Order: sequence, then C-alpha cells, then structure tokens
Amino acid sequence: MIPWSSFVQKAQSLIDPANFNIPALSSPDHNPSKASLFRQQFRLPDSQNPLQEITADLVLPLPNSPANQGDGSRRVDRAGNTYTGRLHLSERFICFSTQPTSFIPSATASASTTWTGQTHGTGPSGNGFILPLSCIRRVERLHSANHIFSLALTTWNGLLNKQQEPNFAPQRLILQLVGSRQACERFCDTLKKGLREGMKEVDSLRIVVSDCYSEYLLSGAKGKGQDGSEADTRQPPDAGLGLIFRYPGDARKLRDRSKMRLWGEYFRENGRNATLIRQPTFHKLIRVGLPNRLRGEIWELTSGSLFLRLHSPKLYQQTLAKFEGQESLAIDEIEKDLNRSLPEYPGFQSEEGIGRLRRVLTAYSWIDPEIGYCQAMNIVVAALLIYTSEAQAFFLLSVLCGRLLPGYYSTTMYGTLLDQKVFESLVEKTMPVLWDHLTKSDVQLSVVSLPWFLSLYINSMPLVFAFRVLDVFFLEGPKVLFQVGLAILRVNGEELLETQDDGSFISVLKSYFSRLDESAHPRSENPKLRAITRFQELMVVAFKEFSGITHSTITETREKHKGAVLENIETFAKRTSIRNLGPESKRLSVDDLGTIYDRFYETLYQWEQHQKVIEEETRRQERKKSQRLSMLAPPADTQVGRVGLGPSPTHMDYDAFREFLAATSKWAVADSPGPSRKASSSGKSALWANRRQPADHEFMQRLYRKWATDPEEGLNLQNVVNGLARLKGSPDIMNNINYFFDLYDDSGNGQVDREGILKISEALLFLSRRGFEGTITATPSMENLNSSGDRDHAENSLTTDEKFLGSVSAFIRRCFEYADPSHPENQKADQQDATADATEKLDSFAIGDDEEDDLIDIDDDDDAKSTSSPAPDATTQSAKSTTAEPDNNAHNRSASESANPALDPNNPLHITLPTFRMVVLADELLEQFFESYFPQSFHLSDHPHPAALAASSSMSSNLTTFSNLGSIRSPGLAAGSVPVAGASGGIVPPGKGLRGVLDNIVSDGIRMAAEVKKRMDEAQRDLERNALGREEEEDDDDDDDYPRREHTTAAIPGGIPSWGAGAYGADPERRSVVRDTDRDLLEGAEVLDGGKEEKTSLLDGKDDAKHAPRKVSGSAASAKGRGSPTVHDGEVISKLVEFEP
Amino acid sequence: MSESASANAPKPSSSVKLVLLGEAAVGKSSLVLRFVNNDFQENKEPTIGAAFLTQKCSLPTRTIKFEIWDTAGQERFASLAPMYYRNAQAALVVYDVTKPSSLTKAKHWVAELQRQASPGIVIALVGNKLDLTNDGGDVSEAAGAAQNESDSAQDGDEGGDEQDDVQDAVTGDARKVSTREATGYAEEEGLLFFETSAKTGTNVVDVFTAIANAIPESSLKTGRSTGAGTGQTSLGNRSTEDARVNLGDRNAATAKEGCAC
Repeated sequence: MIPWSSFVQKAQSLIDPANFNIPALSSPDHNPSKASLFRQQFRLPDSQNPLQEITADLVLPLPNSPANQGDGSRRVDRAGNTYTGRLHLSERFICFSTQPTSFIPSATASASTTWTGQTHGTGPSGNGFILPLSCIRRVERLHSANHIFSLALTTWNGLLNKQQEPNFAPQRLILQLVGSRQACERFCDTLKKGLREGMKEVDSLRIVVSDCYSEYLLSGAKGKGQDGSEADTRQPPDAGLGLIFRYPGDARKLRDRSKMRLWGEYFRENGRNATLIRQPTFHKLIRVGLPNRLRGEIWELTSGSLFLRLHSPKLYQQTLAKFEGQESLAIDEIEKDLNRSLPEYPGFQSEEGIGRLRRVLTAYSWIDPEIGYCQAMNIVVAALLIYTSEAQAFFLLSVLCGRLLPGYYSTTMYGTLLDQKVFESLVEKTMPVLWDHLTKSDVQLSVVSLPWFLSLYINSMPLVFAFRVLDVFFLEGPKVLFQVGLAILRVNGEELLETQDDGSFISVLKSYFSRLDESAHPRSENPKLRAITRFQELMVVAFKEFSGITHSTITETREKHKGAVLENIETFAKRTSIRNLGPESKRLSVDDLGTIYDRFYETLYQWEQHQKVIEEETRRQERKKSQRLSMLAPPADTQVGRVGLGPSPTHMDYDAFREFLAATSKWAVADSPGPSRKASSSGKSALWANRRQPADHEFMQRLYRKWATDPEEGLNLQNVVNGLARLKGSPDIMNNINYFFDLYDDSGNGQVDREGILKISEALLFLSRRGFEGTITATPSMENLNSSGDRDHAENSLTTDEKFLGSVSAFIRRCFEYADPSHPENQKADQQDATADATEKLDSFAIGDDEEDDLIDIDDDDDAKSTSSPAPDATTQSAKSTTAEPDNNAHNRSASESANPALDPNNPLHITLPTFRMVVLADELLEQFFESYFPQSFHLSDHPHPAALAASSSMSSNLTTFSNLGSIRSPGLAAGSVPVAGASGGIVPPGKGLRGVLDNIVSDGIRMAAEVKKRMDEAQRDLERNALGREEEEDDDDDDDYPRREHTTAAIPGGIPSWGAGAYGADPERRSVVRDTDRDLLEGAEVLDGGKEEKTSLLDGKDDAKHAPRKVSGSAASAKGRGSPTVHDGEVISKLVEFEP
Repeated sequence: MSESASANAPKPSSSVKLVLLGEAAVGKSSLVLRFVNNDFQENKEPTIGAAFLTQKCSLPTRTIKFEIWDTAGQERFASLAPMYYRNAQAALVVYDVTKPSSLTKAKHWVAELQRQASPGIVIALVGNKLDLTNDGGDVSEAAGAAQNESDSAQDGDEGGDEQDDVQDAVTGDARKVSTREATGYAEEEGLLFFETSAKTGTNVVDVFTAIANAIPESSLKTGRSTGAGTGQTSLGNRSTEDARVNLGDRNAATAKEGCAC
C-alpha cells in the first residue's frame, strides 16, 4: 500500500530516466523523457519506468477448442493472429504494442491501419496488451525447433472469481522474442523479478477486478438470474448512476444490447479488464460507442486509471475517511456547485447522485490540493458518475487532471489557455479561409471553444454525443478534443463564414449542436446516406479529415505557445496581485512593487527547484524508488513552482527569505561561500552552486520575524511588501530609527536591554560591512578639518567604513551611558528616571569615564562569556585574521567594570526609544546610516516612488542642514561626547593614525549634538510629525563648507551637558566648541577604535575617506569628563555650570 | 416583451458589448437570465468560461442590442477574463449583498477594468440577492415599506449602519453589505450602482437601461467605446440616486427610463 503522501507528491519531478540503464526507445526523440513517453503510450502510472524492451511476435493461439465446444459463436478467423511489435517491461507491467506499420494482417483483412497509426505516442497504440505483472499466473519457456525464444503467458483472466464460469478456458498467449540470446535472457531475468513482485498484488487485483462489470457479465450470473432457477446472489457491480436513474439516451436506439453482446464476445476471446488484449475490433467497438454498463470500465481501462486503482485500490475510501469532517476552500466551492451539475439528469436531482458527486470531488480536492476544485470538474465528474462507481470516477479524474488535460483545472488554468492557443493555431493552419474571416470580423474563437475543451463537450453537445466523444478521448487522448473541435468548424464552415460577430457565430454552433441527431443528408435519395446522422458525419470528419492531427502535433504546438501563454498569465497575475496589495504598498512605486514581486517569486521558484533537487538526491541516496502514483504531464515537471503553472508556493520560509534579501541587499550576501544551513547535508546542486550565498545573521532573523504575520507559515508577498514599504516608503529618519528599535524590542515594552544593545551594534556592523555605496558621507568639513587642523596623514586614508566602526563603538558606549537601570533599586547612582535632574546625569557621565576601552571590547566579552548571540561570522573571522587585537584593552577591564555599573551584568539595564534616537542622532554617520543607507540598502527598481525620492533628497538636504546647524547654531551639546574618551586617553596609548579621527569626532560631535537636541525636542513633542526634515530643508541654502569649517575648527568639547539636556528637552540654542588643544585630552577615545580596529579589515569600503566618523561626539564627552573643557560660548558655560556637581 | 421599436419609426440601433464579472455564485448568470428571458432558475449550472447572450434594450431615441458575455466567477477563471472584457463597452460588476467578500472581489474587478479594459468603459456595480434582505423581500407587497425603509436608511446617514444591524437582529435580514458602503464606493469610482434581485426581478432591467443610457453616443457610432468618461460620471451619480430612491420599486423606474426590453 502506498502511503497517501506519495500520491500527493504529484508535483515532484519525474525521476530522471538517465539513472536507469535502459536501452534507448525507438520512438522519436521529444523533449519529454523517454520514461514519460513510455508511460504515456501505455497509460502507466508515474512509478513505472521502461526497464527492458525487445522486439517480439505476439501469437494469439486459437481458443482452446475442447473447452470451447459449447461456444458456437466464436469466430475462427480471429484465432491465430500474429502481431509483430515491441515488448516492453516496467517494474509492474509488461506491455506489447504493434508499431503503426508493423501490423501483420495474418488472419483478417479488417486490420484498420488507420486506427493504429494515430494513437501512437498517446494511448495504447495499435494492438497488443498492457498487463500488470500481477495478472500473470504462469510463464513457460516453450521448446521450439527454430531456436526461437518463446514464452507462453498464462493469466489470471477469469480465475479470480469465486464462481467458476461456464466454458472457461485460461487465457494463454505466446510471445516469441526476437533478439540475441543474451537480450532474451536479460529480458526474462527482469521479468522473473517483476513477477515475484507482482505476486504481492494479486489480492489488489482481485478487489479491483471484482468492481468491473465485465466480470459480472462473463460470470453468467446475469443469465442465471434471469432463469430464476438459481437466484443470483451476486449484485452487479456499480456501473454508475445510470443503473439507478437510467442511462441517457434511448438504449434501443443506441443498440445497447447488441453492443453488449459484441463486447461479451470480445472479452471471452481476448480477456477482460486487466487482462484484455487489444485487437483491431477493440478500437472499432469503441468508435461505435460503448454500451452503457461497460462504458465506465472501458474508460478506466483505456485511460489507464484502472492501473492507478490497482495500485491502491482503497485510496478513495481512505482519503474520504482520513479527511472526514474537515473543511477547505475547495469544499466550499464544491458545495456551491453540487446542485448545478448536470441538473437535468435525474440522478443529480437526488441526494444519492449529489452525494456521490460531493464525495468524489472532495476526495480529489484532498489528494490534489494544488488543483483543489475547478468549476467544470463538477460537470465532468457528474458525467463520469453516470457510468462509473465513485472510486472509478475518482481515479478517472486523477488521470484527466494529471495527464489527459494537463493544467486545465490548475489555479491559473494555463492548460486551458494554452490549448486554446493550440486550437486557434490549428484552425489557422487547417482552415485558413475561416481563420481569416474570424480575424477580420473580430470573432475570438477561444471564447467559443474554451468550454468545449474545459468540459469535454459535455455541456456543449447533448450528453449522448458527448459520451461518444469521451469514449474515443479516453482511448486516444487529448488530440481527440482538437479533432472534434476542428471538425465542428469544418462542418459548419460555410455558415460560419457568413457570421459577422461573436453572437451569430455562437448561435450557428448552438443550433448545430442541438441537431446532431438529425440526418446529415436529409434530402439524399440513398437511404443509407440518409441514415447517417450529423454526429456520425462529425466523427468521420474528425477522425478521417483531421487524422493528421496527432499527439505529436499537439505536443509540438503546445511547446511553441507555452512560453507566451505562461507569460501572459504571469503578467496578469502580477498586475492583479500588485494592485491588491493594499494601502501600505502605495508607499512604494509600481516599479518597486514589480521588482519585489518578481524577486519574491523568483526566489520562491529557485528555492523550490533547489529543494527539489535536494530531495531527489536524498531519495536517490536512500535508494528509494519513487512510488508516485499519480500521473503527471511531462512538461510540468521541469517548471514546477512557476507562477503561470498554477499553484506555486506563496510563502517563503526563513531560508528562502535569506535568498530574497541576498538578491535585494548587498549586506545579505555571505562573505564566503560557507555551507548553507539546510543544504549542507545534501550537497549543492549545480543550479545553486553559482549563486551568491545568502548570509545568515541575527538581524535577518529579526527582520523575518518582524515582517511575518506568522513566522511558522512564512512570509507572503504582502508581508514583504509591507515590510519594505515601512522601510523605504517613508522619508522620515525617525521612522527608520523607530523601526530599527522595534526590531530589537523583544518584549514589546519599549525597552531594549543590554543584550539588545549589543545586538544592535552587531547588526550595524553587519549591515555596513560591505560599504555604504556612497550613501553615507562624512561632512566635507571634516576633511577640511583633517587637512588643515591635523597633520597626521594617516587619518586621511580612513575610510567611511572605518569611521563608521568608530561610530558604532561610540554608539555602544553611549547606549550604556544613557541606559536606564531596569531595577533602579540596585543602583544608587542611576536611580534617577528619565526626568532626572541633569546634574545627576552628569554624575553618570563621570562614572562612565573610566571604561571606554572595555566598552570597545564588548563583543569580545560577549564571545568569551557566550552570554549573547555570536558576533557576525564576518566579524569574528576578520577579528582572527587581524589579530592586532591589543591586549592592553583588557588590562583595566575589571577595574572599569567595577567602576561602571553599565557593564556589570548583574545590573540589568535598558534603553528606551528616545534614548536610542538620541544616541543615533548624536552621530552623523549613524544618522546618515538610518536616514539613507539603511533604507537604500534594499535595492528595488530604478524608479522608486516619488515619496521615496523625496525622502532621499530630503535626506541629503538634511545632511547638509545638519552640518549647517552645527556651524550656525554651534550646538553646545557636546553631551553627545559623553563617551568621555579623555579619561581613558590617559590610560591607553592612542592607536596609530586615529588621532585625526578623534579630532573629527570632537568637532563633529558638537555639531551633532545641536542637531540631536533640536530633533529630540521635536520628536518628543510630536513623533509623528515629519516636519523635521522639511524644516531643515529651509537651511539648504546655507550648505557651505566654509562657515562650518570655521566653527568646527574652533569647536571645543563643552557641549556634553546640553546634549544630555537636549535629550530631555533642554534649550537647543547651545553652542560648544572644541579647541585643537583639547584633542590631546581626548585621545583616549582612540582606544575605542583600537578595540574595534580589527574589524576595519573586513570592510571592503573604498578609500575615499572623505568623512570622519561620528563617534567623535563621544570623545567630546569624555573630554568633559576630564572636567577640563574650555568653553567659549556663554550659553554652554552656563549649562556646564548647571551640570557640574 | 413589447416591440416598441417596430411600432415607431425605426430608431438607430447599435450593439454594445457588455461583460459580467464578479465572484462565483453571486448571481451573474441569473441576472442575465432574468434580463434576457425574464426567468429564474434556482440551480443554474456554473458558467464554464463564459456564456454569450443577447438582448435588445429600447431607449426613447435608439435601440441598444446588448451582447452579453457572462463570465465564470471562480477565482481561477480570472486569468481568462481579459479575453472576455476585451473591447467591452460596458461592464456589470456583481457582488452579493449578503457576502462582504464578494464586494472586495468586485472592487478588484473594477480596478482591473479601469486599468485594463477599453477606456471609457461604463461600469455598473450591482449588489445582487436583494431578495435575501428586508429591502427586497417581496416587491409587490412590501414596495412601500421597502421604500420607506431604504429612505430612512438613506436619510439617517449617521445611523445607517446601526439600523442595518437592528434590522438584522429583528428580522433576520441576511444583508451584510450596507447600501451606504457600496454607494460610497461607487460614487468614489464613478460607477453606476444598483441593488437587484435576479430572483424577484427587482431593479434588473433598470441596471441595463441605465447602462444603455450611459453609453455615450459617440462610442455607439464607432461601435467601440472611445473614451467619454465625463458622461459616464455624471450619469453614474444620477443613476445612483435613482437606485437609492427606487429600491424595490421596479415599475416606476422602468416606466421612467422607457426601456421596453
């Protein structure tokens, strides 16, 4: 028994036939694999593969005469037919088929070669058999004088009944293998193996066969029942609703009885159901229309669904039981349509019929959730149920959806659209005049023909005729639909040429369909001609005139149009999907949304493919044979997951999200192609190998969790769009800062703890490790400052990245300095809350003075203690590579730890959003980071939303204003400089080449502080107001290096107090300037950089070190800590005084 | 069906391609069936792909022959829709007044049409299954009452929703989409708006008449709509008013518009 799940895996790609040692098939080489061609030709389940193949003669011996004496009706000319063809062996089947041209009319002249040729490649072509190995009871090697390798097969035909049939003779057929002795032996070996396996299926076979009406028919139970002599204990098997509610059409007119007799005869001679052998009569009997009671069985047989049922006879009942009581969207949709499926048939006005329909559709929606339920399936299944049992209809539907009508009922219905294109192009090719007319009068053919294909003519033609089409369709495959469609147009050609619009076109065809039972030649004198109905005429035209339309015609034409059709669908899907993304998405431009959409589905698609390959490999490694039962059209297997093909995944898990980010942002690409998390075990496929590997960083996990509505389910397009819209759609730096803070506010209480602070800083480094792409620039004045104010050339080569490092370390420092204790009672010094007096704040600054160097090392601390998440790979790696880590950092760590409660892990602390904002805005680089780099690091289209554009422009204006602010208002808020580098400056020798940085730090910090203060004031008052940026824009005109430079060179680290004050809403008009001479005092701040120095190496930033890092402000503060700031500005002084204890 | 056209001097006649869109089972086909055959089937077969029907609508000055494309509503058929609304001059976007999700879907369709269909396409938003609400229970008997109800609902703009809720509780009204909500949306988008019942026939003809009236002359001459958005909008607003007032009062509207379909 196959587990249900394997049946569901129909979307899995077919096993690559290359993995099997099979000789090449003689069939012409198409795109689909040989294995799939083989399966298609013999209608075998997907689990089957061609294992052996050999030329052979099939000899059907005379029916065993002694046993058949009573059977006078047996025609002798049938006996002893010999067919030459190919014998194929798969895991569970032995198949024989004559080649279209190799039919040997040894005994009968009625060999209708026209039949045999056309089914080639689609259905069981020509004559022969498809025997499940479980049907074979015995195989004998015959001794033959001519050294011919002959096998005699005896089947279970008729022996599976409890009741012995009268005049029964076991079915026996002889195969003469033509080939080298080795080839024959090899074939026999494989056959032996298969037979052993097949034995296990005999019980299934018994079950399946007992549902076949033919068994009942041949058992003679029927006849005896009529006698009344022997009360028939056996109920006839379920042959559809027709047994209860009558079959459509007039049985007498359909000559049902005589057809039945003919089929009975055929069965007796050639075997029934699973053991049936196809001779020319078989095809002819199907062409004239199947008898009602056998219709379902023959459909099952010719479509191959019988083999699916044989494979898992209980699947239908099990599926129903398994999902009993469960609900789904498909079920809702099914319920809506139950009462409107062939409502004119009495069976579907009854609970019985509707119940059957409900169960079959529901069961199928469970085993094929990708299709679920599509309108039109109700009509098709309703039609099937008139002739079949529920289980039979269930498996027939499976074959229809999976193989005969590939993609018709999928969620995009690409198969339907594709076949309409194919049909149109066939019309154009075969009936150019009509086609021209249609084009000229603007009649769209497909609107007329689409329902024909989608519901298999069932609701276009009267039922009796639609079933006749179905009879042939199940045998010969999809091409029948095309042939009939073309014939309809051809037969009505003249009338259609007179129509001018859709309306009249449709009405011509409507009236034609309603008169199919009328004579095609009502005025003919020849009564035989007069007796030919329009439907018969249609069939003749379809299969004679359009005999050139073969399966390969269809396949080739499909291949030609497939790309365009899929693209159309995908364009439509994209358009619709983007339009329906909701209000959030309006913050991004249509181009951006398009880019996100494409990238999202591209990622999912790639990911899907990737997973599949891995799965395949795993399966192969486990040497597990695929047991997929369902049938899958070959074209689908290569592109599973493509949007246009129907249900594609809609949610990406974290790993796929990483891929998405890697395609979006530089920082999300891993530094070295390390083993990816999931795939590492199963190895890399070629498909995946060339791709950049996505990084895996805690920040990305946070982003993922933040964006996802339900992280378990994954991210859908809406989540991603909303996430990106919040980041990129707003021109507001505050928004970005808030967003970032929220990412790390795990508890949601507006606080980020020590751990969080460290993680934020890691994330900042992670995000910046690939450079800033020019989005972050230190103010030009810095450079001027450098060149003029400082003599050390080394710092000129400092990159923005290096400077950013400094900013980050300053960030950490400040965060700790301004953190609020989570448990105030633990800390006397920090008891004050946010509204605390500024003087007290100053105390804490002083406390912080001593341990900058330790702060720098925080990452290392972390690693050592393993208290927090590991630093980004890159960071640690590079840390090791540049082992320049100064030991001196550690020497006073313990001392400073004890000195600074912020570092004491026993003193929990947290920062709030205002603090975070303050700290970020205190640093030019960090500010720029949040204002421009961070949102811009998500690359979407080249045409961003106007608002976003405004954002970036206002960003730049902000930047300039910022500098101006610094110069003009000369913010005294050196508070930003809290880092108090000065203190450590005395202890730790300055790192090389960093002095200039510090200079910049100082001056920068001062300007920064002014800005911070201003912003904080505003932000505090009205967080939602975006006025900030605009206000600053007013200052754009002042964007000029010179004035700023003047001020900055004169800057002194006096602003500390006002920075702190700024955070708490103090007067913004403070100024402070750092003197050059004070720089020495600040050099201690370099320690910070020393500690972080190793990290600079991993930054591949450019060397255009135009800008100094912002961390400077920190050192400015440290200078203050020293207590020796020189203050020029009166206001600042006053503030200072306030702060001084 | 009175053939008023034949009685008078032959009026100019032109055909208009009209497409019906909307969620599955909101009653698109039933609306058409009511309009074309004045008939109603409880269990109508779902439309596969699309159904095509025609019906004439006689206006005082001209005759409009509607070529109606009735499309399948199931979500997955959506990708076929462009095939049907191609060159359509009018569209009927239908939702079910008892099913809010169907209005959402209708809005999607409106957006799709506004961007992808012929410019100047006349779009009517139709809330069907009015018979399941109190407004449209039984036309003949409750006409006055329905009128009053709807009037008061319209008058008391503030309390409209509450009132709906109250009605819901008291009478088992199945309405889930308030007239006000849909009207507001229709006005915003410049759509014609009607609430109909294909089952009772309420407002059905009115919808088509209003559409016929809203089709600009210019587009009729060419046979294809050539963008006359202004006419559409003003007509849309007016007709919306009509629809409000005439809820449940089919005869009056028919007489006034003079449609003799």
